[in-house]
Amino acid sequence: MFWKSKPLWGNKTRLKSSYDAVIIGGGLHGLATAYYLAKEHGITDVAIIEKRFIGFGGAGRNTAIVRANQRTQYNVPLYKEALDLWPVLTKELDYNLMFNNCGNLNLMHSEAAMKAARMTIATAQFHGVESHLIDAKQAKELVPALNISEDITFPIHGAMFHPPGGIVRHDAVVWGLAKGAAKHGVHIHQHTEATAIHTEGGKISGVETSRGRIHTPRVLISAGGYSAGLIYHMLGIKLPIAVLTIQAMVTQPLKPLLDHVVSSGAYHCYANQTLKGEIATGAHMDQWPNYTTQNTAHYIKHQAEALSDWLPCLRGVKFMRIWGGLADMTPDMAPIMDGNDQIEGFYMDCGWGYFGFKSCSAVGKYMAQFMASGHCPDMLKPFNLRRYENHQLMGETAALVSYTPDN
Amino acid sequence: MALTLTCPVCGQRNGYEFRYGGEDKGPRPAEAGLTPAAWCDYVHMNKCIAGVQKEWWFHRDGCGSWFTTWRDTTKNLEVAKPEASK
Repeated sequence: MFWKSKPLWGNKTRLKSSYDAVIIGGGLHGLATAYYLAKEHGITDVAIIEKRFIGFGGAGRNTAIVRANQRTQYNVPLYKEALDLWPVLTKELDYNLMFNNCGNLNLMHSEAAMKAARMTIATAQFHGVESHLIDAKQAKELVPALNISEDITFPIHGAMFHPPGGIVRHDAVVWGLAKGAAKHGVHIHQHTEATAIHTEGGKISGVETSRGRIHTPRVLISAGGYSAGLIYHMLGIKLPIAVLTIQAMVTQPLKPLLDHVVSSGAYHCYANQTLKGEIATGAHMDQWPNYTTQNTAHYIKHQAEALSDWLPCLRGVKFMRIWGGLADMTPDMAPIMDGNDQIEGFYMDCGWGYFGFKSCSAVGKYMAQFMASGHCPDMLKPFNLRRYENHQLMGETAALVSYTPDN
Repeated sequence: MALTLTCPVCGQRNGYEFRYGGEDKGPRPAEAGLTPAAWCDYVHMNKCIAGVQKEWWFHRDGCGSWFTTWRDTTKNLEVAKPEASK
């Protein structure tokens, strides 16, 4: 009885038979691209086609961490811009995105990891991103709950401290961008499934949906973990992607004890305290591809073991909630943003793995530029699909770990 | 994620004993006349099917066999080989 048919972000719109651009996937990348298409490029005749509801996928399942301390010279500037955009978007959208600029701490558990961190920090500093190497004692000063003793599975040697990062409220970004896009005339169609993409003479001509056919010269697939499957199914284009379920969980709420995002590659574990007091923590991905988003006792046990090792004050604390999402992993841990190549008017934005949230603001801006002009902006050029056949993989991960399951 | 796989030597075993070996892409392409695109297709490219696919598995914590089997990626269950007509 309190249910209103009017969505939070604007009026419900009728599905038209033609649009200037169609975006498949009502997640953060799709919403951000639509927002910038309408706001910066005057392309307001845009439809977002979402099978379920906006924010159903990764947009509402990630652990909301933002940072710009990636590894390669191609990725860092993109993530830096994304990070710089949070305060700007908060104002522009007139929507509180709750950016908590608490800083990130990446724990290092060996001298080899410290060396890798030195290189990553040098890259960050070269690109104007604040990042420091600190030793275990300094890490303990920042996070007093940290166990820096030598008798744990992976003793802490030091950490990479990245003060500009933090946490952004992910649902707020979904609603803020939806509101902003709708204000500029974008149509958001929920519960509408894209079933096929039509081409004529090598050019995009339309999209078939569960509610009828749409004529359009431009299509973007930015459907998170579902992108690779959709792109193969609809267009027969294979991608170097493996889709894995990734899990996250929160503990019962506690008094404030963590005021940074702390993560550890060796433990495959990260933790931050939400504004509600829960410790939000994530796990490594499943070991084989699946679309289930199911949770496993295997990983709950892993998280409990890891956390009670390096944050021993959490021993005995109960997990309250657990959920899963999809991560579309590429072999070089860098995304694929491409368009106007395989098929004229077809754009893709996928392969983000678990980096989709922290990149969405900047990617929306550049993908919109790409779709509006038809020419790939310099910022996105290194992320093309052909880099795999040209054997120019990006090296975003430091050879120590490979996250794809078939490796 | 209660995955059980059928190893040709050991029979049905817990999925965590195995390592996933990728989608089955058929035989390795011949060296003669191999283009970068064809090699890339074999090495990197996947179909990411939401449904039943044929894939490679390695019985890592068992007999060490490599074998192919069919699995439904939306249910995470091993399934019988689909009929040839499909």
